[in-house]
Amino acid sequence: MKGPWLGTLVVGGLAALDGTPMAQTLASQPLVTATILGALWGDWSTALGVGVVLQILAASTLPIGARTPEDYSVGGVVGAGVALTIAAGAPFEHVRQAASLAGVLAGMVAATIGVPLLRAQRRWNEGLARWCEQSLREGREGALAQSQGAAVALAFAIGLAATAVWLALAHWGSSFVEHESLRLAGAWHLLQPLWLGFGFAQLLHAFVQRRLERAGVFAAALVGAWLVIVAGAP
Amino acid sequence: MSEDVRETPPRPQQLGRGTLLEMGLRANLLQAAWNFERQQGLGWAFALAPALRALYPARETRLERLAEHTAYFNTQPTLASFALGAAARVEEQRALGTGGDAASMARLKSVLGSTFAALGDRLFWFSLRPFAAAVGVLVAMTHPSHGWGALALWLVYALPHLTMRFGGVAWGYAAGPAVLSGAFRDRLEAAVRWMALLGCVVLGVALAWALAPGGEPRPIAVQCALAVGLGVGLLSAQRARPSPTRWALAFGLVGVVLAWRFHG
Repeated sequence: MKGPWLGTLVVGGLAALDGTPMAQTLASQPLVTATILGALWGDWSTALGVGVVLQILAASTLPIGARTPEDYSVGGVVGAGVALTIAAGAPFEHVRQAASLAGVLAGMVAATIGVPLLRAQRRWNEGLARWCEQSLREGREGALAQSQGAAVALAFAIGLAATAVWLALAHWGSSFVEHESLRLAGAWHLLQPLWLGFGFAQLLHAFVQRRLERAGVFAAALVGAWLVIVAGAP
Repeated sequence: MSEDVRETPPRPQQLGRGTLLEMGLRANLLQAAWNFERQQGLGWAFALAPALRALYPARETRLERLAEHTAYFNTQPTLASFALGAAARVEEQRALGTGGDAASMARLKSVLGSTFAALGDRLFWFSLRPFAAAVGVLVAMTHPSHGWGALALWLVYALPHLTMRFGGVAWGYAAGPAVLSGAFRDRLEAAVRWMALLGCVVLGVALAWALAPGGEPRPIAVQCALAVGLGVGLLSAQRARPSPTRWALAFGLVGVVLAWRFHG
């Protein structure tokens, strides 16, 4: 059991890096990290259930300009990690569904709490940048690489630490979720489609941009796909 | 410029492929030390360092230029590669003594940064990123026991992102400040339009699948929940605040409270 736990921590640190400081390839998006964690823990259905919902919400959270958006890089890992920790070894489907609900909620809260954490990290980087310029003017050429290295190490450490705290909380609260799993599973049955519909609407708004022809394309695709899916079903 | 450098003028050279590739690699760390004061300034200097190393053999001048480049810079991180290439071209002319001074370089960075931000935000943040997410979610919903959704999401975004990040430096270097020509902008604008249309199609298919996965319509309560989410989402999207996450958290809390109240 320690392997998946440690793996989740490392994925948390790496996701924090891909989110902003390094590469930005979207490998840190909740669907990708949830898939990796699903493979790590051997539970695809719980991981993807959480990953899809958090992904659709993360897609409408944009890092524009100097805005500090919700941190879905770490939030995605926390969401899937919490759900998998609770669901690990659970024999009943409703416990896994309750774990998914707890995971999505934990992921959203972690993403929201990540905002002040990111801001603190960015303020710390201000000092680093001033030190770097000063060092360069004093003739220390290596200061640039050292500053970049320090900033990367800090981002990784924050991602890893945040994931560790949330996994510990999940471990501590798993018996409560298991005990209340019937109620939570009932809530999950309605909240999952509600969240999906809400996320689809956010994406639709981003694509349509109040243009009638695009709304028409969406409606045609919806009706056409529905007919094909339902008529094509065995 | 200091006296000793004037006595032994630098011998600039054409930047080779290796230097441009190293700049592309370093551009991956453009936002490593992102901060509110200089934003991408430190990462910009770090990415430009290989070019400055090749162009300014005199250490003192090189360090002066590096320190200069740690000043404020911000743009969309993928398209920053084009700006890096263009700035390297101008630094090359500057090393030859024909490329202006620090103030003109700062003006160029400001123009490149704001223009690429305007283009890149629309292309990457408002179009490609939501489009990749929609494709990934659709594939994940239709193949719930595999990792294809994650792979699709990553490939749809990362392929153009990494191609532009690595290729953009050479492109910007070849074109110089003219990289912002009309033809380049037109291509990006066309990509934005097509992605919006394709995104509408993908979302339509995804919603149809969510209503009747595999052709089996879901219970009416689930379909109603989807419709309510869609309706509230379209209304809430008209305003920036509260953020979608806060709305979703509020739904979650209300849902849990209702489950406690009415279940068992």
